[in-house]
Amino acid sequence: MASSTQTKNAAELCVLLIRELYGQLPSRIFEILLSSGRSTVQQLGRISSTSLRNVRHGLAVLVQQNLVYHYTDSENSRTIYEANHYYAYNIVRNGKILDCTHRNYGEAAKRIVHLVMASGHMRVGSIVDAYLKNHGKPANNVNGSPEPTNGHESGDDPFEDAAEEEPQVSGHQVLDDIAHLIAIGILEPLSPKMLQSPEDIKSEVDKDLMKAYPSGLRGKQKGEHESRVVNTVREIRNRSQHLKMQLEPTYLYGSGAKRRKLANGDRTHGFSAANDDDPIEDTILLRVNYEKCLVELRNQRLCQFVDDNIGYTTARVYGAMLTALSKKLSCCQPDPTDDSIDPMNPPTVTTIEIFEYLKPSVDVFGGIGKPSADQINVTSAEKVERNPPSGDGDGDEAGYDAQTSIEEPDNDDDDDVDMEMANGYHLNGTHGGDDGEVSGQNGTKDTKVSFADKGPTKAERMQRMRQHLLILAESGIHFVRHSGTRDQGEWTVDFEILIRQLRFLELDTIIEDTFGREGLRLIKILRAKGKIDDKTLPTMALMQKGDVHMKMVEMELAGFLDVQEVPRDNNRVAARTLFLWFFDEHRTLTRTLDNTYKAMVRHLQRLEVEGQKKKNILSIVERTDVQGMEQEKLSGDAYNEYQQFLDIQSRLLGQVSKLDDLVSVLRDY
Amino acid sequence: MDDKKEELKELLYQACEEKLDDETAYSRSFSQDDLQSLSICRELKMDLKTLMGLVQSLTNDRRFIPLQSASGPVWRLRPEEEANKYRGLEKDQVLVYSWIDNAGGEGIWQQTLRNKTGITQDQQFKNILKQLEAKRLITSFMSVQNASHKCWIKASIKPSIKATGGPWYADGDLDESFINILLNVVFDFIKDQGSYSTRSSGGTTRGASTSPVLPKKVLKGKESEVAIAARGKKRDADAITNDDESTPLKARRSNGQQRILLPMPAGYSNYITLAEITERIAAANITRGTKLKESDVKQLLDVLMYDGRIEEIKVGRRVGYRAVRISKHDPSNFVPGSVPSYDLPSNGLTEAPCGRCPVFELCEEGDPCGRAAVSTSMSGLHNTLGSKQPSCIVWSTYVSSLSMFTPPGLQISIP
Repeated sequence: MASSTQTKNAAELCVLLIRELYGQLPSRIFEILLSSGRSTVQQLGRISSTSLRNVRHGLAVLVQQNLVYHYTDSENSRTIYEANHYYAYNIVRNGKILDCTHRNYGEAAKRIVHLVMASGHMRVGSIVDAYLKNHGKPANNVNGSPEPTNGHESGDDPFEDAAEEEPQVSGHQVLDDIAHLIAIGILEPLSPKMLQSPEDIKSEVDKDLMKAYPSGLRGKQKGEHESRVVNTVREIRNRSQHLKMQLEPTYLYGSGAKRRKLANGDRTHGFSAANDDDPIEDTILLRVNYEKCLVELRNQRLCQFVDDNIGYTTARVYGAMLTALSKKLSCCQPDPTDDSIDPMNPPTVTTIEIFEYLKPSVDVFGGIGKPSADQINVTSAEKVERNPPSGDGDGDEAGYDAQTSIEEPDNDDDDDVDMEMANGYHLNGTHGGDDGEVSGQNGTKDTKVSFADKGPTKAERMQRMRQHLLILAESGIHFVRHSGTRDQGEWTVDFEILIRQLRFLELDTIIEDTFGREGLRLIKILRAKGKIDDKTLPTMALMQKGDVHMKMVEMELAGFLDVQEVPRDNNRVAARTLFLWFFDEHRTLTRTLDNTYKAMVRHLQRLEVEGQKKKNILSIVERTDVQGMEQEKLSGDAYNEYQQFLDIQSRLLGQVSKLDDLVSVLRDY
Repeated sequence: MDDKKEELKELLYQACEEKLDDETAYSRSFSQDDLQSLSICRELKMDLKTLMGLVQSLTNDRRFIPLQSASGPVWRLRPEEEANKYRGLEKDQVLVYSWIDNAGGEGIWQQTLRNKTGITQDQQFKNILKQLEAKRLITSFMSVQNASHKCWIKASIKPSIKATGGPWYADGDLDESFINILLNVVFDFIKDQGSYSTRSSGGTTRGASTSPVLPKKVLKGKESEVAIAARGKKRDADAITNDDESTPLKARRSNGQQRILLPMPAGYSNYITLAEITERIAAANITRGTKLKESDVKQLLDVLMYDGRIEEIKVGRRVGYRAVRISKHDPSNFVPGSVPSYDLPSNGLTEAPCGRCPVFELCEEGDPCGRAAVSTSMSGLHNTLGSKQPSCIVWSTYVSSLSMFTPPGLQISIP
């Protein structure tokens, strides 16, 4: 994790988050763990001046929530605890993750993730029990019969049904949903090893393997040993993946029909499958896999990025593309030591795959301009880039001439290509009928809307969707890369390059907001040109010398710029010195990140202040006899005041989560 | 002998003059080899010594300008009438004038001139300059690169672009309003040609923005609670992935009242190019007299790119320009004197008071931001800082100004 260098603000933030959610005691212990490093229970007791009993209580909460690593030394059987700030920070994302799960995988998935999230980790059996207790019974009560009445109104529109009425669930169904979540990767089986810090695991493996060399390492053995350690550590880490891999064929790539019916809560055929064994055992411990959740959140952020940059419809298409792609991604920043990932060949998805994920409600026919067909250079639009762009993206110069020589005649002669393209631009195009049948075999997801005769065929929709993808590929931001032509086009995303752009965008937003358009202009010049002398800047930026100077100094004071002095002779007088300005990307990113932590801390502190102001009311609300029925128990004024507080709280937390969006971009994606 | 030499000199000078082409004119330089290969030299079988004698003599007459190049000495011709100007000048005057002459369009700073000529006496130096100015041989100007530097240049030529700063300068000052208007005009050209504007009448927008076939209600049932909650509010991080048709963006489109700009499909080969922009500026006659060259327009485009308003797009061999975030721009054209509107992106940090707090760096735990009351010392600080307010002061107004967008945040109930 890039955040392994913890700053003071980040630590403060983690502590505040824990206090907000789990109370004073755990947060205090977490704070000590952060400030004094790995500690035993006794040490914690001493530092916190708390009784060991209390320390254990606090630790229990932290362990339950995966917030500490613990490691018991096999020799002296002493247990050491260590703060897991990665999990602590992720508390702030809980809401977003639930939201995202709901949107992508439906209500039931959200409920399950919520359950697991609330208790940190949970046995499969207890998830099912808790789920049925919370959501299963009410439905039965309403119906007044323990036996669910099947298919009572699902004939017309299964979707409406699902949203408005509590579907009736059985243990099987919940298990099925859980298995699905594991296959996606949102939930992961928890093994004791995962509660040990990576360093501990590594040193233990190291110790184990060293037994093979009683006389120590010599020469070649050293490298050999090291690679074995790395491999073993990775194997341990991947052990939890076994279950996921087992489930994947059924739940991700297999019987799609079964999945969809489940999601709709439609059990007309009573299929809920006594023929299968339960897919997972009751005793497996599960927890939320934040890495995978981050992938989903990243998709969301990138869609937003496209929405901002290109347009709403294109963003929806991009969303479908990312959903298809993220099936093949388990985390945002792949481990550089892992040999199985080849940075030159990232996973790709085909047009047909993407089309399956495109929601039928997305109107792919909008959102693109309609120039006349002769203004379109098909060759250029359909350009395939097999390799990731190198650095500045000017790598395609070489193949440039060969390409243009083909391109000349295509407007007049090459009718086939033109027709296909034109497909996209004329709404009621008469062609494409043949195509419709060809690709109709491939599409499995029916739109379930029966059109009048003139409706666009699936092929037309897919063609239009491709147009959106091509726009994305053409953009200078490298949203997607058109990497091949199989199955009507293969697409991939070079996340590293894209996210870097996104980071710059966030920085630019901050810079533009703080220093105005001129400030941004100057910084972008520096970014494009590297180090620049004081005197050349005004000409490039078309700005007054004095203004440039003022802006530069202002930005330097704020830490966005650096200046290097290069004396031209030994005297080092200012007049004989070159002042080179430059923009330090890494430093600026770290600083901004830390500032964001700090702003989040202030927001949470502000929340406490607001809480203090309304202390009287809140103390009443906290009483168990009032909780849940505030409106009846509180007097009018008090209730209003309580509402005010809730209002403020949600605004502040909303803003915190917006700040978290920034942190995600700067650090995690 | 002298007569013959004079004659030869004339012949040589004329031969060189004939060699000049239109493009480089008098700035073309001749090396020794060039001179020797002139037809006249070959015809007369001139030996090197005679030739050098002639060259020396011509140089003394100021009709040849000796220069050094990487491959050895070269000479440049000086037009007859220019050479005549040296006649009747005193020795010191010649010295000064020749430096100014050689400096060409760049001009030469008075201080440098004095150092180079070695005339140490201030009065004498000034007198010479005065005399030359009186003869209308030289004139002074201020360079834009060093506003305080008085530079001298031959009266017969105009200061070079480098010295005047080109079209962007008026009387030695950067003409910022001119530049800004041009930037906006250029941006408008780019925006217009690189986007597709939906027409304002309801009938035609339909095709562009709403599906001709898909009924709006499809899959309404799938809508999440969040989507319902977000309805009628500001579009936020989540709205985009919701299957929600009633977000303002959509609403605006389906109203058909307001035009919006749409991006062009990939491969669109009609994005405006540098040459076209230059042409359109010239055609529109915005610059009133000053003619903008392609290099000047390129400078404007660069600035627009640095501002993050446009991007370069290569389609085939054609390098065009298009606006970024096209759908966020106001489709109407720029009116001089107005500030073109476009919504700035924002993020969590820029919205929060902390993002603009001048004392954010100094802020520590327990400072006023985290306390209930704002201490008076902080308001004192606020006065010294002018309009920028420390965030602790604006917190209460800030909290109420926050949009009601509320993803569940931290609120997870613990069973």
